[in-house]
Amino acid sequence: MIITNNEKVYDKYKDITNIIFIQGGFKDVLVKTRDKIHEGHELLTHPLSSSVKPNETPFKSVLISDEKASLNLNSLYIIENSIMTYDNFSKHKFSMMTDKITEDFKLIDLTVLESALNI
Amino acid sequence: MKLELGYIFIKDIQFAETSKVENGTLYVNKEEVKALILEDQNFKSADVELAKPGESVRIMPVKDVIEPRVKVEGPGGIFPGMVSKVETVGSGKTNVLKGAAVVTTGKIVGFQEGIIDMTGPGAEYTPFSQLNNLVLVCEPIDSLKQHEHEKALRFAGYKVAMYLGELAKNMTPDQVDTFETPTLVEGIKMYPELPRVAYVCMLQSQGLMHDTYVYGVDAKQTISTLIYPTEMMDGAIVSGNCVSACDKNTTYHHLNNPVVHDLFAEHGKTLNFVGVIITNENVYLADKERSSNWSAKLAEYLGVDGVIVSEEGFGNPDTDLIMNCKKIENKGIKTVLITDEYAGRDGTSQSLADADVRANAVVTGGNANEVIELPPMDKIIGHVEVADVIAGGFDGSLHADGSITAELQVITGATNEMGFNKLSAR
Repeated sequence: MIITNNEKVYDKYKDITNIIFIQGGFKDVLVKTRDKIHEGHELLTHPLSSSVKPNETPFKSVLISDEKASLNLNSLYIIENSIMTYDNFSKHKFSMMTDKITEDFKLIDLTVLESALNI
Repeated sequence: MKLELGYIFIKDIQFAETSKVENGTLYVNKEEVKALILEDQNFKSADVELAKPGESVRIMPVKDVIEPRVKVEGPGGIFPGMVSKVETVGSGKTNVLKGAAVVTTGKIVGFQEGIIDMTGPGAEYTPFSQLNNLVLVCEPIDSLKQHEHEKALRFAGYKVAMYLGELAKNMTPDQVDTFETPTLVEGIKMYPELPRVAYVCMLQSQGLMHDTYVYGVDAKQTISTLIYPTEMMDGAIVSGNCVSACDKNTTYHHLNNPVVHDLFAEHGKTLNFVGVIITNENVYLADKERSSNWSAKLAEYLGVDGVIVSEEGFGNPDTDLIMNCKKIENKGIKTVLITDEYAGRDGTSQSLADADVRANAVVTGGNANEVIELPPMDKIIGHVEVADVIAGGFDGSLHADGSITAELQVITGATNEMGFNKLSAR
C-alpha cells in the first residue's frame, strides 16, 4: 500500500495498487503512516527516503504492507524518529516554487519510490 | 594488489592552443574540450571556464568533481565499466594531476544545490576551493529527460577528466606513493600482533540523482561485497549522486578516499588494514536489512577486530549506518562511525534520524544546518538564480547584492562523511 501526497504517484498507481492519497504536506503523510503502523501495518520503505530534505520538497510517498499484524515495533521506531527529524528542520513556505520545480520534486519522489518497487 | 600513484603537481591552469602539462601548469585547449562534450548529441551547447584558488568566483550548481588520472602501467583504464572496459583496476602505475579537477555543473531539476566559492568564508568550507578547476557548463537539448541529462553530464565529466589525465601519461611524477594490499593469508602472517581493521564504505543508492556506480553497475542493484582499496583509486567507484551537496561523496572523494589513505598510512604500524567492504543505501527496508547482514557477515569472515564505517547522505542512510553498526558490533567487532549532523540551526537537536547504544564511537563531519553568510562574488559560473531553491537555501536566500544566506548544506563537500573536510566537533 502506498501513502502519498504526490499526484504523479497517485495517478500512476491508483488503478493497480492500494493507495491512500493525502491532501496535505510531507508531515501529513508521515502522520498517516504512523497511524497505519499503529493499526498493524508494516513499514516497507524508509519515510526519509531520498536525500532531498523534508523542508525542501513538499512531496512524500511511503510504502507499507497491505496486511495487518500485531504492532511492528521496528516500524514504529523508524516512523517516530522520522517525524522527530522532520520537526528539526525549519519549515519552508514553498512560496517561490515554480511549476517546473514542483514537477521535478514530484518526479524525484516517484523515482525514489520506484527504486524500491524495482520498476 | 599493488598500485603506484604518481603525482604531478598542478599549480595553475590556463587556456592555450595546445593541451599539455608543463612546469606545473595545466594548459587546456578549450575548443577540443567543448568538441569532446558535444560528441554527445544530448547537449546543444557547452562552455568551459576556469576557476582558480583565490579568485572571486562562485561555481553553482555543482554536480560532480573529478580528478584527472591516467593508467600508465597495469591492466584496465580509469573509470572501468563507465568509460573504460570492465577490466580489474588497482594495480600497476597511475598518474594523477594533483591540484586539478573537472567540475560539472547543470540544472538537471529545478531545485539544485552545490556551491564552490573560490575565495572568502565559503572557500574555507570546501576542499575544492584549493584546486585549479576546469568547469563544464553544458546546456541540454530541450526535450532531454532528467535521467538522460544526469547521465550525459556525468559522462561529460569522465570524458574530460580522461582527456586531461592522458596529458600526464608519459610524464615523470613529482612524487610517487605506493599502496599495497596483501592477500588475507599473507596479511595475517605479516602483522600477527596488530589489530585487523576493515573499512565499510556506504554508497548512496536511491534512484534518480541519488546513485553510485561500481564498475559501471548501479550500486542499488548490488549486495555488499569486497573491493581492493587501490581499485577505488583507479575510479572503480564513481558518483551519480547530485543531492545533498555537503555530505555526498563526489567522484573526487572516491578517488582520494581519506579513510583508505589514513588506513594505508597506519598499515603495519598501528593496525593491519585488511580491506574494504562496500555496501549500499537503498530505500526499501528489506534491502537495508540484507545489505547490513552482508556487511556484518563479510566483516566476520575477514576476522577483523574493528571496522570504520563511513556514511553518505542524510536521513534514511542513518538507518543503514546504525544497522551496520549494530550487526557488526554483535559479531564482537568494534565499530567507529563517520557521519555528519542535522542538529538544527543551534545544534541542539538530535543529530541523526536513528541511534543505538552500540554506536558509541562516532566522528562527525559537522552540523549541516548551521547558517552561513556567503558574500557576493565578482563572477558566477553556472546558474545563480538557483540559490533560492538550492538544497539548504530557503526563501530569501539570495540577496539583491548577490550574497547568500543559507545552511552549510549548500556547500559541496562541507560536511563530507569520509572526513574529507575541516569541520568536526568534540
